[in-house]
Amino acid sequence: MFLTSLYNTVMDANKPAVDLDELVLKFRPVVAFRVRKALGGSTPDWEDVADEIITQVIEKVRNGEFRGESSIGTFIYTVTSRRIVDFIRQKTKVLKGGPEPSPWPDPSEDAETRERARIVAGAVQQLKPKFKEVLNLYYYQELSREEVAARLGISPRRVSERLNYAQKLLRKRVRS
Amino acid sequence: MRKCLFEDQIDDYLLNRLEGPAKDRFEEHYFNCSNCFAKLQERDELISSIKSRSAWLFSRERQPEPKGVAAALGRMTDWLTPRQWAVAAVSATVILFTVFGALPLLRHQSPQFTLSEGEVVRGQSLSLITPLIDVKAVPAYFEWAKLANAADYKISIYNGELLWSASTTDTRIAIPEDVKRKMVAGNTYAWQVRAFSAGGTLVAVSSRVRFQVVTGN
Repeated sequence: MFLTSLYNTVMDANKPAVDLDELVLKFRPVVAFRVRKALGGSTPDWEDVADEIITQVIEKVRNGEFRGESSIGTFIYTVTSRRIVDFIRQKTKVLKGGPEPSPWPDPSEDAETRERARIVAGAVQQLKPKFKEVLNLYYYQELSREEVAARLGISPRRVSERLNYAQKLLRKRVRS
Repeated sequence: MRKCLFEDQIDDYLLNRLEGPAKDRFEEHYFNCSNCFAKLQERDELISSIKSRSAWLFSRERQPEPKGVAAALGRMTDWLTPRQWAVAAVSATVILFTVFGALPLLRHQSPQFTLSEGEVVRGQSLSLITPLIDVKAVPAYFEWAKLANAADYKISIYNGELLWSASTTDTRIAIPEDVKRKMVAGNTYAWQVRAFSAGGTLVAVSSRVRFQVVTGN
């Protein structure tokens, strides 16, 4: 709500060179992704941090701090990175000694994410064993392409082909 | 669509293999490239699903590969969809029915012989020995090949209609004198033998062979 009201104020006050409506729509997911990746999905504040960053960006654009010397993407990336660093500095003392946040977002965090994860996992389960095996070794066990190739007795190029083909199949099945 | 140079770094980024300036450059890039960001999100969703459900997804991969017929059948189930299994089951049923049901019936069924326009029978073939070609005199006897499962033979001689018929347990028969006299030189005759089992079942039928008693004997 706060974000929306601030956003409307900005739109009413000036005629910014940047379309703020489009900016929020386009960059909110990118900022959220970057923040979640940096802080971990289990960090409870990560969505608040993402909202703060978008608010900061709107304010900065409104105040003329974005002068077009870089792309708007790079500008927002810079604001995001600084805010993440600040957040980590503020929280370091609190987090020190606490449980290590999971590097991977917990798919049970909301119903929509859980449902998406179920669909994707179901699609993975239906893949042929040779594709599942590559996904297991590469994404779950986090072996390099070369290590996967050595384990399976195929070339690294073949590993890449299987990964690409598996992703293509998954994309098709998840969308259908 | 042209592939973005940064696309190859998506996995490395998500698997925390990018560090320092390379990581910064990649992050700055996906703030500017919606195509890469869409792929990044999709890949992140895949990796998250794999990481969070690995026990369910890969439990079988971590177990030693079972061997034997059951394992082979298990691997087959991985390859075939339910529909393919249904088709395979129907095909197997048809093949089994054909092999064990229909073929034995056909094998025991004797060949079909047309004796006349209104008479069609099944039976083994029976070879006639003599006479097979034109003869200079009325043959003293008629001879045919022996059949293992035949107990009785019935010979029929035709001259357009049935001239004479007789039964014998032997494989040759002499025709009676009164029949001989009916067989006139210059006429064409035909003969045929049917074999019967001990139970009286027709088991074989010969072809109907024509011969002529030529004049001038």
